Amino acid sequence: MVDKTGAPILRVKNVSKTFGGVVCALDDVSLEVYPNEIVGVVGENGAGKTTLMKILVGIHAPDRGEWEHNGVVVPFPRNPQEAARKGISIVYQEKGVIPSLKVYQFLFLGNEEKHERRWGLQIGKMKQHAREILEEFHVQCDIEDFMYDLPLSTQKMVEISKAVLRIRLEQNRDTTDSVIILDEPTAPLTIEERRGMLGEILRMKSNTSFVYVTHIMQEVMEYMDEVVVLRDGKRVGYFDMSAQKATEDDLSRAIVGREILAQPHEKGPHMDEGGEVVLSAQDLTTRGCYYDISFDLHRGECIGLFGPAGSGKSEIIKTIAGLRSNDSGKLLLQGREAKQNEPAHKRLSRGVGYFSGDTANELLHDWPITKNISILNISKVVGKFLRFLRFKAEKALAARIVEQLRITTPDVNTLISSLSGGSKQKVTVGKWFEKNPAILLLEDPTIGIDVGSREDIYQAVLSMKRKGMSMILVSDDLKEYSTLCDGVLLMRQGRVTERISVEQISEVLKS
Amino acid sequence: MNHSHTKRSGLRGVWEATKNYPVILIVIGLVVIFSTLYTKLFLSPVNLTATLRQFVTLMLFSIGPSIVMLLGSMDLSFIGIWMLGSVLLWILTPVIGPPALLVFPLLGLATGFIAGVVHTKGRIPSFILTLSILITYWGLTVVLSGGYPRPVKGYGFITASVLPRVPTPFLWSIPIILAAIIVVLRTRLGIYFWAIGSNEEGTRLAGIDVDRYKTIAFMLSGTFTGIGSIILFEHLGGSAPVEFNMNNVVRPLVAIILGGTPLVGGTGGPHRTILGVFTFSILYRGLYLSSLRPEVIDLVVGLVLILSVVINSRGARMKGVDVT
Repeated sequence: MVDKTGAPILRVKNVSKTFGGVVCALDDVSLEVYPNEIVGVVGENGAGKTTLMKILVGIHAPDRGEWEHNGVVVPFPRNPQEAARKGISIVYQEKGVIPSLKVYQFLFLGNEEKHERRWGLQIGKMKQHAREILEEFHVQCDIEDFMYDLPLSTQKMVEISKAVLRIRLEQNRDTTDSVIILDEPTAPLTIEERRGMLGEILRMKSNTSFVYVTHIMQEVMEYMDEVVVLRDGKRVGYFDMSAQKATEDDLSRAIVGREILAQPHEKGPHMDEGGEVVLSAQDLTTRGCYYDISFDLHRGECIGLFGPAGSGKSEIIKTIAGLRSNDSGKLLLQGREAKQNEPAHKRLSRGVGYFSGDTANELLHDWPITKNISILNISKVVGKFLRFLRFKAEKALAARIVEQLRITTPDVNTLISSLSGGSKQKVTVGKWFEKNPAILLLEDPTIGIDVGSREDIYQAVLSMKRKGMSMILVSDDLKEYSTLCDGVLLMRQGRVTERISVEQISEVLKS
Repeated sequence: MNHSHTKRSGLRGVWEATKNYPVILIVIGLVVIFSTLYTKLFLSPVNLTATLRQFVTLMLFSIGPSIVMLLGSMDLSFIGIWMLGSVLLWILTPVIGPPALLVFPLLGLATGFIAGVVHTKGRIPSFILTLSILITYWGLTVVLSGGYPRPVKGYGFITASVLPRVPTPFLWSIPIILAAIIVVLRTRLGIYFWAIGSNEEGTRLAGIDVDRYKTIAFMLSGTFTGIGSIILFEHLGGSAPVEFNMNNVVRPLVAIILGGTPLVGGTGGPHRTILGVFTFSILYRGLYLSSLRPEVIDLVVGLVLILSVVINSRGARMKGVDVT
């Protein structure tokens, strides 16, 4: 298997990185990669995985740390080109694909020198070289295809080939020991596509090593040779998967950092107990996104839509919120049919609120907490006569929410932009808490915030639910479903494949 | 893009070509309509020569901006370069003689450099930035010329007839057009421009200095406009203009968009602009031969612009650029 008698091809030691002098993104992290192995890097959102990867390819410079090459300390790369010369290249999670380029143009993007002569590019030679590369890595597409025409899995394979090719071109050699960093490469893919791609990656292992960032436990258990666990910027666990048989529970414990207590789940009214139906979707369809979506949402119930990115879950919730249009199908709100393509403000007046964890869009950053809360609850802070704003009421309202949600802020007049990520998120929750719509749509409600704030937000959301608010949840965090939901609709490629109860969610986690 | 490799025989090839360049159908349609409406006039040598003259004017103005539009940016400064350059030529010719012609490309290069640097470093939207440059240059032109058109003598050789019926400026424009096409299709610059227009963030992640190549695009645009202006200056009357004509700004843009370079960038290029300019020239000459009044012709041009922008943006959406 993995030969560790030789020198590692990549070894970084004691890497630390602080952003803006405050946020400690990485603290004393080390990483070793030997030839022909796959090193998994796992951890929660915000654990520092991406920061570490960006340091490895020279996008961020570390504050401290050593890069060892054959026992000699060498400087960190300062840009992706230098990293490629050191034999390291990255495939980004998203944004890496240039849709309107042809495959051969994309493969050489940024490394055209080899095929450049005085009078421009030698396009014939470029195409020939690209053809050879696609053949070598078994990529099923033509060099003349446009990137946007390819399926997601093929796009990824082209990106991986590009990463290897880049190292070869920068080092000016045909074969070389290289490390390819893959940042959640399989996230948007179906199970079958995943298998196919991981099969290719195993084949490529014969002359390439991988650093593999992922959230999918099954991939870690089946394909990784070693696993490094990061939490809050620290390396908190290391498992050699070939020698010791680490269980999935061991890994999960290391990732979360505490025993995952089976939280006493609060039972909402069960779906078939026939509580009042507040929202009913009937055959909602938008071509290319989702098809024939039907479900009922009861009062006080929370339904989760779960599936990989691109499964249509995010588009469905946005359609219900009035932020996207649908092609066909009916949506009943409190028994009355909602007009198709109603804008979001109309939907809100019918009691449908939409809350996203994307604070960049949800909040007005140059405004104080008070205004951000009262903008959604304006009727509560205007006078009865002449409808002028009453600043005292505004302040009192904000103060109440700050206290309830334990928002850490010196004052209710503090600008949003000076709050921490967790506090910002709480302000967003707070304004919806006060608005109290009949139905609240949650999209990634706790994305990118720390565990403590997350608990506070869950508490607030659960107390709203207890008061009878219905919810639909879309998230990338499986634990969130088990905490908040009463039932989950599994989605794949735009269709609901199965409806499962909250108890079954943990089994999905494993499969 | 370059489809020469997909050339197939007979009807299949024609079908491929029309699929990739739907504007060809419009050209054929227009030619058929106008030649049946004005049987003698439309296909007469005089009108064909006039169409070619129109083609040259539009094409030389369009080359520069169609390079910048690949990146999803906009360059409106081209008319400014032509106007200010002409007046500088009027000032410099008595002093240094014919080498004064170099003022056009130099002014273009400098303008492009300034526009590119301010656009990338200052994060100023290119539309408003180049519009300001255009207005500033117009003002400068009027100030320097004292408000009167100034004829410049001695450059008649640029338009001196070489071939019968073929306007000489058309011959001059061929190498310029070819140079622009080679830059976009045969060098890495073209690929980078497409990439930036298609996914700027991704291009940056591929290790490409996006700001640098944006600036280069503006410099290329300015230079091509400058070189084209040497010919246009004589082609359009041989005097320094002081009247600002909105048509000169709008029509090249219509031609570029008709050719298939979308406002959001990512595809197209000068080679497609040729088709757009050709279409527009035929349409314009056809309308000109009709009994429509000039204002109505402007109205039609406006409608064509709206229509082509709508079709254009639909096409961009259908390609599903939103790929994760």
